[in-house]
Amino acid sequence: MIRFDSVNKYFGNFHVLKNINLEINKGEVVVVIGPSGSGKSTLLRCINRLETITDGELTVNDLKVNDKKTDINQLRRNIGMVFQHFHLYPHKTVLENITTAPIKVLKQSKEEAEKVARSYLEKVGIPEKANSYPAQLSGGQQQRVAIARGLAMKPEIILFDEPTSALDPEMIGEVLDVMKALAKEGMTMVVVTHEMGFAREVADRIIFMDQGQILEQGKPADFYANPKEERARLFLSRILNH
Amino acid sequence: MLDFSILLNNLDTYLEGFKNTVLASIIALLGSFIIGVIVAVMRIAPIKPLNWIGSAYVEFIRNIPLLVIAFFFYYGLPAIGVTLPAFVAGTIALAIYTASFIAEAIRAGIQSVPKGQMEAARSSGLTYLQTMRTIILPQAIKIVIPPIGNQFINLVKNSAILGMIAGLDLMYFGDLVSSRTFVTFPVYIFVAMFYLVLTIPLSLGVGYLERRLARSN
Repeated sequence: MIRFDSVNKYFGNFHVLKNINLEINKGEVVVVIGPSGSGKSTLLRCINRLETITDGELTVNDLKVNDKKTDINQLRRNIGMVFQHFHLYPHKTVLENITTAPIKVLKQSKEEAEKVARSYLEKVGIPEKANSYPAQLSGGQQQRVAIARGLAMKPEIILFDEPTSALDPEMIGEVLDVMKALAKEGMTMVVVTHEMGFAREVADRIIFMDQGQILEQGKPADFYANPKEERARLFLSRILNH
Repeated sequence: MLDFSILLNNLDTYLEGFKNTVLASIIALLGSFIIGVIVAVMRIAPIKPLNWIGSAYVEFIRNIPLLVIAFFFYYGLPAIGVTLPAFVAGTIALAIYTASFIAEAIRAGIQSVPKGQMEAARSSGLTYLQTMRTIILPQAIKIVIPPIGNQFINLVKNSAILGMIAGLDLMYFGDLVSSRTFVTFPVYIFVAMFYLVLTIPLSLGVGYLERRLARSN
């Protein structure tokens, strides 16, 4: 479904992604881990062309993401994205945040879009916040609205860019619970995170990145029990043993 | 003491000038706002040649004295066969000049909206223009209103430039009263008062908006 073929990316002279080869299948939950600056977020952001690749080939559903002929807006409506800092629209209510894209992009009627929005708010556990503004919500609630906003487009893929890194520890659980439920329903998910518990429990595959390369990948049970790469072992020992 | 008979005896003349100053200000205000929005969008649109045109407009116009621009439209254009009435030439100059400052204020406002807003909206499939209209501009407008209000106050004051090219405004008729009566000082005091009648309410209005917007955040 998502395919990286010898993808390289540079920021100026800085080689952020080095010869990435990766295939992600429909319904798969892939968790990307690795130290800061290893290129995890950049990898994720290439998938919906928030970043452009320098060379190689990147396809989503066999469509070349960086081809001029690809209608990027068409491609993006099929790929939800959840950001570390939520990026809810501060001037719109929760309901408007969720219905804007379905109304503008999918041409849903306001009534229909609101019905869908309310059902997703129900799903993420905050139906009573429909008419609140983002600033009136806690971080965890804002992130759950952001997930509902992504879901309302009924995408086939959702990208999560460190979705719990900006949250108070107490609120991480509520967001992870929503993500776990999504994973169980068979959503294709690519998740950049430091939440090892979530990765171990939910991921079909762990990808370990360092310095722009995919160093190792595998099933969570194997990866955590016995990482092959020295760098991965070091990374795990640092974040798990305290 | 201030001799109010000067004002009362020439009230019609003053009011005629005041009326034209208000008219020139309103027309230039609308014109400068429209040009300002267009130039601001040109400066930030993801199309390089448009960026250049927008930047060139701002850098050139902003750095030329308004008087020179007004003289260009009044005395310069006839050389290529376009003769404009002084009022029209002055008002166009005023609009074009003020637009460069308004464009800068709008550009700064748009760029102060966090980058994540654009990314979130674009990643949901909205086009660039849809994102601008529904997500970015409504947020930018709050940031932009106070500086634009200040530009409008400047515009009203700068409209006195019309007096230099016989533009029939308050300043022009002030000069006229002065040369008719051989009185100078009180005549211009009254001219100043008429400008204050326009600018003080504007200034209070901008302050009020500023406080209201600050509260709504």
